[in-house]
This record gives sequence, C-alpha cells and structure tokens, in this order.
Amino acid sequence: MTGRELPIDGLGAPGWGGFDPARTRGSGGEAVRSFAVAARLGWQMEANWTDPILFFIYSVAKPVSAALILVFMLEVISGGSRPEFRAFIVVGSALWSFVVSGIAGLAWSILDDRERYRMLRYVYVSPSDFLVVVLGRGLARIAVGAMGAAITLGIGVVALGVPFDPARIDWPLLVVVMALGLGSIVAIGIVMAAICLQTRQESWSYPEAASGALFLVSGAVFPLAVLPQPLQVVGLLTPLSWWVEGVRQALFPGGLTAIGGDGSFFGSVAGLPAPAPLQVVLALLATGTVATLASIAVFRASERRAKDRGLLDQTTGS
Amino acid sequence: MSAAFNFQPSASPQEAAAWSRRQVLATDVRSIRGRAYPRVTGMFREKSWVFFEILLPFLATSAFVFVYRALEAPAEYIGFVVLGGAMTAFWLNVIWMMAQQLWWEKSQGNLELYFAAPMNIMSVLFGMAVGGFVMSSTRAAAVLVIATTLYGVSFAIDQWLLLIAVFFLTLAALYGLGMVLASLFLMWGREAWHLTQLLIEPVYFVSGLNFPVGRLGIVGSLAISLLPLAVGLDAMRQLAFADAAYPLGTPSPEIEALILVAMTVVFLLAARFTLRLLERLARKEGRLSVRWQ
Repeated sequence: MTGRELPIDGLGAPGWGGFDPARTRGSGGEAVRSFAVAARLGWQMEANWTDPILFFIYSVAKPVSAALILVFMLEVISGGSRPEFRAFIVVGSALWSFVVSGIAGLAWSILDDRERYRMLRYVYVSPSDFLVVVLGRGLARIAVGAMGAAITLGIGVVALGVPFDPARIDWPLLVVVMALGLGSIVAIGIVMAAICLQTRQESWSYPEAASGALFLVSGAVFPLAVLPQPLQVVGLLTPLSWWVEGVRQALFPGGLTAIGGDGSFFGSVAGLPAPAPLQVVLALLATGTVATLASIAVFRASERRAKDRGLLDQTTGS
Repeated sequence: MSAAFNFQPSASPQEAAAWSRRQVLATDVRSIRGRAYPRVTGMFREKSWVFFEILLPFLATSAFVFVYRALEAPAEYIGFVVLGGAMTAFWLNVIWMMAQQLWWEKSQGNLELYFAAPMNIMSVLFGMAVGGFVMSSTRAAAVLVIATTLYGVSFAIDQWLLLIAVFFLTLAALYGLGMVLASLFLMWGREAWHLTQLLIEPVYFVSGLNFPVGRLGIVGSLAISLLPLAVGLDAMRQLAFADAAYPLGTPSPEIEALILVAMTVVFLLAARFTLRLLERLARKEGRLSVRWQ
C-alpha cells in the first residue's frame, strides 16, 4: 500500500504521517482561481481609490493627451494638409496605451507588493503559481489601457476628424491580431516584471521608459522607413510592429502602412509595397511566440536569482 | 560644523532646547546632506539606472525626432524635441521622487521620524531635491549631448547668461512645485499615486513638450502662467534657437524669467505653509504613522 492510497483527513497530514508530493501540485482549476482572485484584487487596487468620474478621467487623460501631443505635432508642421497621417497617428497612439498599461501593470504589481505593501514574500510562498498571480494582478491595468485606447479612438473619430467607416472593418483580422498582440504585450510585461524583481524601488518609471523605447521601433506613430535600416530590422523582429500594422489594416483597409512603403527594409526584401494581412498574422504569430517563450524563461530565471539573493523581501529607499 | 553640536551642560531642558541660529542652520544643512546622500549614493550602487534612465528615455525622445523627420519638419523642431526630452528628466524626478515622497515615507514608517527629528522638514525636501537633481541632470545632459550629436541639432544662443538663469529658475520653480505637491499628496494618500499618472502626459501636452506651447492658444497661455515646465521650456527654446522662426504668442524670455522668479517664490512659500498645515492636521488626527491609505 502507498501513502497516496491512505485516507486524508481535510488539510491535515496523510494518515500514514509522511509527505505526499501530489498534494503540492496545483490543478488547472486552482490556477484559474488564483488568476481570478489576483485579477479581482488588482482591479480593486486600481479602481477603488476614487469615484467613478475621476477614475474615468484618470483612465483616459493619459492616452488622450499622448495622442493630442502627436496630433499637434502633425498640425504644427502640416497645417491639416495630411488627414491620412492623422488617422495613422491616432490609431498608433491609442494602441500604445495598451502597451504602456500592459507593461506597467505587470511590473508595478511586483513593486507594489514588494516595496509598498511588503507582501511579496507571502504571495510568493502561497500555493498559487507566482507567475499566474502576477498575470492576474496585471490584468486590471490592461483593462484600463483598453478603455483608454477605445476612448482615444472615439475622440479621434468624433473630434479630430479621423475618417472611419465601421462597415469596412476586417473583423476576423482584427480579432486575430488583437488576441496575438495582447499575448505579446503580456510577454513583454512579464520580462519587465522579471527585471523589476531584480531592481530597486525607483524602478517605477522603468516600464514607461521601456515602452518609450519600443515606441521608436514599432512604427506606432511614423513609418519604419524613416529609421536607419538596422533599427527597421529590430522593428520587424518586434511583435508590436506587426500588431499595430495588423490593427491598422483591419480598421483602415488600404490606409498608410508603417512596415512597408518607399525606402522600407520590408519593401526591399519582400518586394511588396505593404505586407498582406496573412503575412502580418504569420509574422505576429512567429515573433509573439518567441517573445512569449523568452519571457517565461526570463521570468523563471529572475525568480530563481531573486530567491537565491534574497530579493523577494528586500525593500529599498532613496 | 560639528562644534555646533558639542555637548554643553544646561540648567534645564528648556535651555537645552533653545538652539542658537548656528545650531539650527547646521542641523538643516546636515539634514539636506543626509537626505541627498542615499539618492546620490544609490546611483552608484545600482548601475541599471544608466540603462533605464538614460538610454531608454533617449530612445523615447528619438521617436519624436523621427515623427518630425517623417513629417519633413524644419530642423529647429528636432531641437525643440531634444530640449523637451532633456527637460522631462526634471519633471519626472519632481513627480516620482518629490511629490510622492512624503506619502511614500509615511508608508515606509519614516515620516514620523522626520517630524520628530529636531530639523525643518523643508530641509528634508530640499535634500531630496538636491539628490534628485544630480540624477536628473545626468540624464538630461546625456539626452541633450547624445541627441544633439546624433541628430545634428545646432543651437543659436545670443544670451548665454539669461539661458543659464532661466534653466536654474525653471529648476527652482519645478522643485518648489514638487514640495507643494509633496504635502498635498501626503494629504490625498493613495489617490496621490494615481494622480501622479495624471501629471505626466497631460502636463507634457499642455507644456508643449514637443512643439511650441504658443500653438495651444489660451491653453498654452494658462500653462505658461501655471506650469514651470511650460514657461521654462518656452523661454529656453526662444533663447537656444534665437535664429529660428519661433511662433509668436508667448512672452519674451525676459518676461518668462520674471514669471519663473514669481513661481519660485510662490511655490516655496506655499510649500512652507502647506507643510506646516498638514503637519498640524496630521498630528491632530493622528495620521502621521497611518500607512497604506
């Protein structure tokens, strides 16, 4: 007879008095429960600090202002003579609020729990998978980012004259690229969380800095063709470039492309003026898969190092 | 300086507590140095900030340079972006490491120690500003030098002294505003953390970080009268690109320098007033040591 076959009384030790390793392994259901609890906690922390009106203003002010900065830059230079560029910029900057909130949400959940609430060590030793908890905590900010993106697009269409025809939306493409793109954003957020596990309190601004750097190579607000060729290659290896391109093609079929165009590296290699939707999906799938696998490896390595060096409960101040 | 703190026998606790001006000043200077120390030393202990606080922000600034290149903008606009990118270092420092700091110190359990210590709390804030300035000026200088070299920005400066004066006045007003926000954020508690977010992109927009603030019309005028970043950046652009066809609609650099002087005085006085008020309120309501609210 093995220990596993002996009756177990509630949460007590097995009847035979030994250690049953099977009881330490969580099931899929437990992971879902951990994720749901972490997501609920994240939402409460994100949203219950004020009344709904201020929360709404807070959620949209950042992405709308970011879009307005770019729209004003365009207006100052072109004087309204390039409306197609306005749509290009509004969509890119609206989508970028997903990126900023996705990256920041995951990284800040680490910093919040370690530096502010000093709960990271307890969360870490709980039976939940640490990565699942971090993902759940980050979900709330992604939701806030989604709201900001949608409202920025709405303001772009209603107030900034972005030409938009709902009947022309390529829904299948939109659904596929959004799903793959959000996965890629979460993957980048996991890498940032892994970095913040190693760094000190002042890392609050690091996610913003990282997303600002990705802004350069993702073709979010200008075509990649204006970048030097090595940076264009970096951009093509980034899933975010393909995601933004895919969403643009889905929302504004036949509009400006960030990846192709005159003088682009993509154009010179592929011989096409712009990537076809299927090419965008395949490239996003490939780069997103690499990013996801790499992010999990980086996170696990960071987790091991943090445990090894006692960083999980080490707070800093300056 | 240490002579001011030599033990001197006194007849009563009251007499011992009656410090000379020299002792008060020496204590405040030591407080400033002590509060600046962890910020400056921290820079050298963890080198990752060089990557995250210099290289990545430089790339973010570069993104806006390429926006103007894609739009085939006049060369001076690249310079406007570079100057704006350099000045963001100070604004972010004021927001993240000044405005939030007292609330953060409360959460960490240090705030009651600050208030209990025989020093002026303003000297703690000033120490934070000095430490933060060292880090931010490193970042700002790096962004300015690298971007100027890489993107071929050419400055045309006629009034060096005024430019330097405007730069330091902008910093004084910015850190004065940071001190006011620090005391307000202490009162607002957890909301402060989220309000910080409201003070980044929206302030960048109304301050005309990447374009001349005069193009914002009435909003730009309001920003110039309220935000040190807006007025300082506008004055510096006018002075650093004296040969550019700068859009009209904003005051001359001399007037803007006077606005900055007024802002500095008002913010420092307001910070002194709000800190005293909040300290009294916090003592009365017993909130000095209440954490995580």
